[in-house]
Amino acid sequence: MSTFKLDGREIPFEKGDTIIRAAHRAGVDVPHYCWHPGLSVAANCRMCLVEVAPPAGRPALMLDVLRWDAAKNEYVAEKKPKLVPACQQGVADGMDVLSQTSEHVKRARAAVQELLLLNHPVDCPICDQAGECRLQDYWLEHQGTKKRMHDEPVHKPKGQVFGPTIVYDAERCIVCTRCVRVSEELAGDPVLSVAERGNLNEIVVSPGRQLDHNYTLMTEHVCPVGALTSSDFRFKARVWFLRSVRSVCVGCSKGCNSYTDFDPRSLQVHRYRPRDNANVNKYWMCDVGMLDYRRIHEGRILEARTSGESTTRESALTRAAALLAGAGGKLALVLSAEHSNEDNAALFTLGTKYLGALAVFYTGRPQGKADGILLEADRNPNTTGVLSICPTAKPIAELGQAVAAGQVAFALALGSAVPEDATASALSGLQGLVVAATHEGTLPQAAHVVLAASSWAEAAGTFINSAGIEQVSERAIPPLGESSPAWKLFAQLGQKLGHPTSWKRPEQIQANAGSAASEVSA
Amino acid sequence: MAQALIDLIKRQFPSAVLETHSQHGDDTLVLNALAWKSVAEFLCSSPDAAMNMLVDLTVVDYAEREPRFEVVAHLLSLSLGHRLRLKARVGNPEGEGAAIASLTEIWASANWAEREAFDMFGVTFIGHTDLRRILMYPEFEGYPLRRDYPADKIQPLIPYREIPGIEKVAPFGRDEGMSFGRQVHARWAEDPEDPQAN
Amino acid sequence: MEPIDVEISEAELELPEEPMLLNVGPSHPAMHGTVRCVMELSGELIHRVDVQVGYLHRGFEKMCERGTWAQVFPYVDRCNYVSPMLNNVGFALACEKMLGIEVPERCQWYRMALGELARISDHLTCDGAMAMELGAFTPFLWMIKGREMIWDIMEEETGARLTHSFGRVGGMAAPPTKGFKEQSLAVVEHILSIVSEVEKLMFGNRIFLDRLEDVGVISGENAISLGWTGPCLRASGVAYDVRKAAPYLKYDEVDFDVPVGEKGDCLDRFIIRLEELKQSVRIIRQSLARMADSGPINVVDPRVMLPPKEEVYNTIEGTIQHFKIVMEGLKIPAGEVYSYTEAGNGELGFYLVSDGSGTPYRVRIRPPCYYITGGLEHVITGQMMADVVPCFGSLNMIGGECDR
Repeated sequence: MSTFKLDGREIPFEKGDTIIRAAHRAGVDVPHYCWHPGLSVAANCRMCLVEVAPPAGRPALMLDVLRWDAAKNEYVAEKKPKLVPACQQGVADGMDVLSQTSEHVKRARAAVQELLLLNHPVDCPICDQAGECRLQDYWLEHQGTKKRMHDEPVHKPKGQVFGPTIVYDAERCIVCTRCVRVSEELAGDPVLSVAERGNLNEIVVSPGRQLDHNYTLMTEHVCPVGALTSSDFRFKARVWFLRSVRSVCVGCSKGCNSYTDFDPRSLQVHRYRPRDNANVNKYWMCDVGMLDYRRIHEGRILEARTSGESTTRESALTRAAALLAGAGGKLALVLSAEHSNEDNAALFTLGTKYLGALAVFYTGRPQGKADGILLEADRNPNTTGVLSICPTAKPIAELGQAVAAGQVAFALALGSAVPEDATASALSGLQGLVVAATHEGTLPQAAHVVLAASSWAEAAGTFINSAGIEQVSERAIPPLGESSPAWKLFAQLGQKLGHPTSWKRPEQIQANAGSAASEVSA
Repeated sequence: MAQALIDLIKRQFPSAVLETHSQHGDDTLVLNALAWKSVAEFLCSSPDAAMNMLVDLTVVDYAEREPRFEVVAHLLSLSLGHRLRLKARVGNPEGEGAAIASLTEIWASANWAEREAFDMFGVTFIGHTDLRRILMYPEFEGYPLRRDYPADKIQPLIPYREIPGIEKVAPFGRDEGMSFGRQVHARWAEDPEDPQAN
Repeated sequence: MEPIDVEISEAELELPEEPMLLNVGPSHPAMHGTVRCVMELSGELIHRVDVQVGYLHRGFEKMCERGTWAQVFPYVDRCNYVSPMLNNVGFALACEKMLGIEVPERCQWYRMALGELARISDHLTCDGAMAMELGAFTPFLWMIKGREMIWDIMEEETGARLTHSFGRVGGMAAPPTKGFKEQSLAVVEHILSIVSEVEKLMFGNRIFLDRLEDVGVISGENAISLGWTGPCLRASGVAYDVRKAAPYLKYDEVDFDVPVGEKGDCLDRFIIRLEELKQSVRIIRQSLARMADSGPINVVDPRVMLPPKEEVYNTIEGTIQHFKIVMEGLKIPAGEVYSYTEAGNGELGFYLVSDGSGTPYRVRIRPPCYYITGGLEHVITGQMMADVVPCFGSLNMIGGECDR
């Protein structure tokens, strides 16, 4: 195992690693602005400078510098070792790197930090990045000194709208070019570039273009300062009021890992942030997914309905039980690829084991266009999961035939959207349709009884993505309005019909079903 | 620095001392909870230690650790002038099984100190003759200084009246106050239906 | 109502044999705030007493875990609320011990002077209240007048008479005002004259002395075992003062004596406080003489001190420093510390546990009068009901500190 020494600690590395990458893997932090594990190396911020001891027998590369001597009140000549950027320097076996333990490195970091703050506007009170800003964190850790410049700082354009999602502030920008590299390397659309020179440097959008590819919010995510801000999140919430849970994006079947940030006082979800997962989404999420958090609060069904009228959950359950009791052998189940394994397993167990449903269909949102990077055409998070619960489930498009053939007259459904509009006419042909839905859509529109289900952010759920990886999404907020997790609703519905569906926790559903339980992996 | 004292205890009770450390001039011994009383007795009676005052006895709740609670006692010797901090860890992550021997027979100040530790954390002191709540009223349920006891929970003995249209704002309502820092020290979104709010 | 004309023979008259249960408090003039004593009396003699505290429990230790380190200062102010500056200084010293920083010398003298003024105010209140409860209203008013003068100084310096929240980690909230030295010296002069008048009035009064002497005696060993510190312990003959045993600030550079009593009765506790007050005056005079008239009060450390407002509004570094300290809290490295000072009632200890963030993990306030009130049972059992008044008064139980 090849190792190198960082501040006296042995750290293993792989071939081709740079110092900062090997340290990052070992959990050791070397301060940096422009480096990102998922992007190419730019080495323009110079914050990650470290001192590398020369190989045995060779002298260190020394530079002539002038140091201010306060005692003599003049500059004196001195030599200091040449520092190398850790993001660019490849690691060799036995290398001896000094980071925190070197005085030269500490002075270099303080100097870099001071230079970055020279022209920085005093925007902290209004800047969205406050609370998660590297300039703030590194000032406290590495600089700690006051401003020495008495001149007017350089002024640049502020509040420039780059595109529908991003606003740029040139004064705050430290020109680390992370956004430029994200646009070029991740999105494949090199629309951003650096203009002007010296301290007038700023990021510009190519003439005649807008920042409008599918990864614009990633430019905001990688920006270490408040130069790029999301116009969606701007001025909405201060980050120190937000709590995070580890969740999974439900925008498509890629299953990108995310953090759901919500305000625990108002229980409002304010944004998603990508979560690193080397196997699924690396470090990124697409704009479609990032903005998908809005669906947690928008277009929701928060009260039960019977025949289109709002009612209590109790009376809706009673009416649903009455409907299903008379279903005979003509009951169909409709699973939903939008919902978690727990919701679908509860419906499947209730339907097949207790209600004797023979036909199982599945629904989901219509297909979209894949972008070849992260966004997939299947806009449902759990198609694989649904098919693993019931491999013989048929697409809901075939429901129309079954209704026409008289095999199906009643349906117990989960979910709100259907892939094609044609299904709506099939649904209207049903004698009884009970739907547990989170959002308005074709299914609850056609339903006789609608039960308000909780969304993915209100209950923990397992989703299987298109690659077959099972992922758990944690719960952020308690159920909104009168909604309740769908798997609980099905338990209550089963009990109304006199069946022993008494699961209080998702793990118990599997035990109740008696079928092989899929292990929930964290 | 009471290094000589620590060595003395280690010699006398080789299996009881789990860790020692010294931070900011305070010497700390982490003991096996079963040896709590015997070490304390030794420290009080031995002329080399002569710890005649139990300055303070309290508990710290490390909610992610097992054992969860750390019973911390500060001892002082008025004649010899040295101080020592003794610690012992008890309790499982659910907060059950937190029991340790009482020191009331050695120092009378342990009486009220242990009552408060019991009241605030639920740590039982075996051998304490009068272990009941001291700061909270007897009908209080729960142990308030535990990390999972929500700081904004109120248990009024006389319930608030239901007056339509008047919002009795409980202290630290959901949209009041500043929840500082990024850490959360209590569960924030409790689902009354869900026994395992995750 | 008709008189009951019943012939009762001697043999039928049965005197009750059970002791009487009397509930004293929590709302009772003798109970110094809110303490409930459930007493078992046999005539006037107290057989057993159950001291129930907790009526002023406000959950400070839990509240401290929700804010930042600097936000603990208002909480500790409200612990021993008759000498809040001593609590502030104690907590500031505890945080500075964990951070490993020492405040500038001028601040140390300043803290000592303010602390001793607070101690004088504490002792004036205690002895004044004790005298008043025994019927001597005049010395109470004189001592309260002295306390008012001290509170005037505090108002000049800090802006508040009682709950100043003046301490900061790394210094104080503001430098001393120009008139501080002059005013303080004049005030302590006046207080000394008040005290000597009180002594002339009280110590010649036979009733006062009879009510305090040999009442509520506690031996030194019992006091030590009960965890007593401060004037109550010293009255029992144990010469333990944190300022001498483990000097902090500049207490080892000033001359003062520590009065120690002999019998451990209420009179000793009364006199000790008056004597301590005189020693505090000595300390104040010396501190003010040695305190420089100019110079920094706060340590220069961007991790803990807020920058001046001109810098906050005009430079990015000032804004960032202000932002980090206020929003995230000043960060104290992970660890634990027990720091103790001599507060009005004895050894005020702070056991702080930090997890490295700006929010305290655990703030344990070791209240001196909690343990002293724990000994109340021991002190008044076997005394007469009327002796409870001077006994409890001499212990100086401050509800805010006892219950937190």
